Amino acid sequence: MANEPDISKLLKLKRYERPPAGYFDDFLSEFQSRQRAELLHRPLMEIVWDRLSSMAPTFHVPRIAYASMAALALAASTLILTRPMAVQPSLASANASPGSLSLNSPQPVTIGQGVPVVFTSTGSPSVHYVLPARPVSYASPRSF
Amino acid sequence: MDEPETPDAELVSRTQAGDPQAFDKLVVRYSPRLYGLVYNMTSNHEDTNDLLQDIFAKAYRAIKGFQGKSSFYTWMHSISVNMTINFLKKRNRRAALSLDDVDNGIMNDPDFIEATSDHDPRHQANLGELQKRLNEAMMKLSQEHRAVVTMFDIQGMPHSEIAKILKISEGTVRSRLFYAHRQLQNYLQEFITN
Repeated sequence: MANEPDISKLLKLKRYERPPAGYFDDFLSEFQSRQRAELLHRPLMEIVWDRLSSMAPTFHVPRIAYASMAALALAASTLILTRPMAVQPSLASANASPGSLSLNSPQPVTIGQGVPVVFTSTGSPSVHYVLPARPVSYASPRSF
Repeated sequence: MDEPETPDAELVSRTQAGDPQAFDKLVVRYSPRLYGLVYNMTSNHEDTNDLLQDIFAKAYRAIKGFQGKSSFYTWMHSISVNMTINFLKKRNRRAALSLDDVDNGIMNDPDFIEATSDHDPRHQANLGELQKRLNEAMMKLSQEHRAVVTMFDIQGMPHSEIAKILKISEGTVRSRLFYAHRQLQNYLQEFITN
């Protein structure tokens, strides 16, 4: 411990080591040229990331939060888009029971009589609906 | 009459707003000090130059995220120390020393006179030897110990500031200094007057 100040004095002598004269004047111009060169050779992903970052609102939210939300949104969209259609082929292609009616059937369909209606994916342009009651629009209009 | 120096915080805000000239001023202001920090940790001028360029480039890219929780000074020193330590860890073999010239002012420094008086009356001859031995001794320390010695003994920073930069406690700074000084004393015994 007695020599500790001496070692400190010796180490302080390293302050006299200096870079060549004019080094710091050239340093800035070298930095600027490197920056320009870097800008010209930036990877595309970095440019896209910078653009996205600049568009993000400047709340005090860490960038990682934006990145997580973007990743989550992307994952959700992918999941939704790649999910198989909900129509079950077994149901669609199932033969209707003798008592049921199909939308493809040329016969008129009456809604509200407890008759099961079968939808098929091979839709037909000619679909008929017969309502059991008189349409509301046929009633005489009320005047206020 | 010199115009008053623009505060760091203002230059940082201007840089964040997209004014690259404001960052240039920060580069001019901080490059000598950070040069000393990196140079004394690498003992190599060329490595220091490359690292310092990378340090400022990284700081420029990251400055939008700088929220001013610490001073710009502390932030820049943290980036510099971390990048230098990472660089030194990757530099597997011990690189050859590439030392800067020593300013002639050292000849009149009483500490230099005292350190070399026992060896040779011609101080100029001992100057090269002392510089080489000092740098070799520094390179024998671990990167973490070297960083603390550089900031405390060579750059004259207080323990509290070093602790903030390295994100360690002041007690750890003191213990690292104690250990490093003891090691350096062994390497440089011949230059220490008892």
